Amino acid sequence: MNVQVLDRELERLEGLWADGLSESYRSYLEAVGDHEPSAQTKLALAAALIEVGLRLQGLGGRAAPPPTLLMGDLCLARASRLLADAASQSVQVAFARTIEGLSAAAASGNPSRPVRELLVHAFTAGA
Amino acid sequence: MISGRLRFETSRAMEFVDLTRRLRDEVRRSGLRNGRIHLQSLHTTLGLAINENEPLLLRDFQKLLERLVPRDAGYEHDDFSRRFEIAVDEPVNGHAHCRQLLLTGFATVLVEEGKVLLGRWQSVFAVELDGPRHRELAMQLDGEFVEKAGFEERDGNGEARLVEIELARQLLVDPDPVALPMRRLMEAGGKRLRPRLVQLTSQVGPRHDPLRAALLAAAVELLHNATLIHDDYVDESTHRRGRPTVAAAEGAERAIAVGDFYFAKATRLIAEIGNAGVTSTMAEALEAICASQIDDVALRGAFPGDHDSYLSVVRGKTAALFAAACASGALLSEAPADVVGALRRYGDLLGVAFQMADDMVDFSPSSGKPVGLDIRQRVLSLPLIYAAEDRSVGPEVRRLLEGSLGDDEVGRVAKLVTSSDALRRVGEEARGLVDAAVRELESIELDGLRPTLVSLARSAVDRTA
Repeated sequence: MNVQVLDRELERLEGLWADGLSESYRSYLEAVGDHEPSAQTKLALAAALIEVGLRLQGLGGRAAPPPTLLMGDLCLARASRLLADAASQSVQVAFARTIEGLSAAAASGNPSRPVRELLVHAFTAGA
Repeated sequence: MISGRLRFETSRAMEFVDLTRRLRDEVRRSGLRNGRIHLQSLHTTLGLAINENEPLLLRDFQKLLERLVPRDAGYEHDDFSRRFEIAVDEPVNGHAHCRQLLLTGFATVLVEEGKVLLGRWQSVFAVELDGPRHRELAMQLDGEFVEKAGFEERDGNGEARLVEIELARQLLVDPDPVALPMRRLMEAGGKRLRPRLVQLTSQVGPRHDPLRAALLAAAVELLHNATLIHDDYVDESTHRRGRPTVAAAEGAERAIAVGDFYFAKATRLIAEIGNAGVTSTMAEALEAICASQIDDVALRGAFPGDHDSYLSVVRGKTAALFAAACASGALLSEAPADVVGALRRYGDLLGVAFQMADDMVDFSPSSGKPVGLDIRQRVLSLPLIYAAEDRSVGPEVRRLLEGSLGDDEVGRVAKLVTSSDALRRVGEEARGLVDAAVRELESIELDGLRPTLVSLARSAVDRTA
């Protein structure tokens, strides 16, 4: 079941799985234990895609070249759709606020806390 | 009071013509707020009725009239030897006159708060008894009309102001490093077509809430502009709407952050509205946009591409958000599924047509933009695709596009495109798509919004900027 979901949701992004997405996904799986079992795969993958997507874009650092930026955009969009599918409204809002905070900090040139820490915290909004 | 005629053609000897939709359109067009519509048949063999539009029931009515007043019962009216001054084409229709006696030639329908007051199952029919014929009903709309300014408000200006207020409100609370670049982009203009579609379609269902619709419309516009900010960096565009792009003015790093901020903010605003259908619809559209952006860039290696790949990219890149705007507005108002589906298809077709019109603008000297920008940036463009296929100019277009594109080459390609049949073909195709979009509206109940949606679709294509 989880493998099928992952296969389907990784379309166009397969190459990222070995490039940090897999590790990131596994770490988030531990953070979604309090959520509905049927939603856990999608929630963990959404968080992992946001983390990888922001890294690909170079948010807060050096801007990614255009093709890489677009791949990062797709990661964020896919994550947004996964959250729409599987997350409560409060988790969706918490995730969006996390990205808002990270990008506002990046635009201001301010440092921010690690993405993973912030996203794990966002899961608690719906737990 | 406003007077007019409802004209229509009938196609059968006996026929129930449902006029309800036309009456709603007339009320909306007139701005009648509270009052009445009076209808009067101008014929002695055309009746009026208010009843349920259910095909089997309509057959029951027809059979009832036929039983009560059989066609072959022998009517003195049909004995032309006993009548004077009869026309040469006088029909044998005594039965039709007698049937009309059982119906009525008049109907008054009330209008409340700009809506035709009918019960859930009620429709207004003209009943043809001696067709097929050209028919006319006299119509008067009487009562309290919305003042001109107010009517315009209902028709869009007031709602458009609500979106501008909502956008300003949202930008006011955002941190300056992201808000200022977005504000500059928003203030530079833009057609606000997507928010307009949200607001219009949000009036279709039973739960129209202008403030929620304005919030959704603003979120859609923010989302659209967030994608433009990233696009401009990807396309290396220096100007948009006559001003430097965020990437050109503030650097790629800032552009990425601003785009991300408003991407996230828009999705949050949509989530906070709390309608799961709307959230999913918008999330799916965003995914389609991002996927097609990747395809768009990939296809630049095979510039100018072909019609199929063009359509595939445009469906995602442009039409997905048009379709989502239409569907989500309707979903917000809790419109029935068939209405949501039809509006989604309307938006999809309109979005593709809009992009085709946009492609044509690139070759219009009166557009206010430098001619040939799409050529220079190697952006997928249907006029270029058609020009490259053209028997006479195609070889030269393809040869020029294969090389480096300086000012001379871009100018020459633009000249070749305008001298070919390409722009006419694209224009025809775009108008055909608009016709198809308009047809999607024919089978659904739109509470008088049809004329506005039709006019919006036509104006989105017939433009020069």
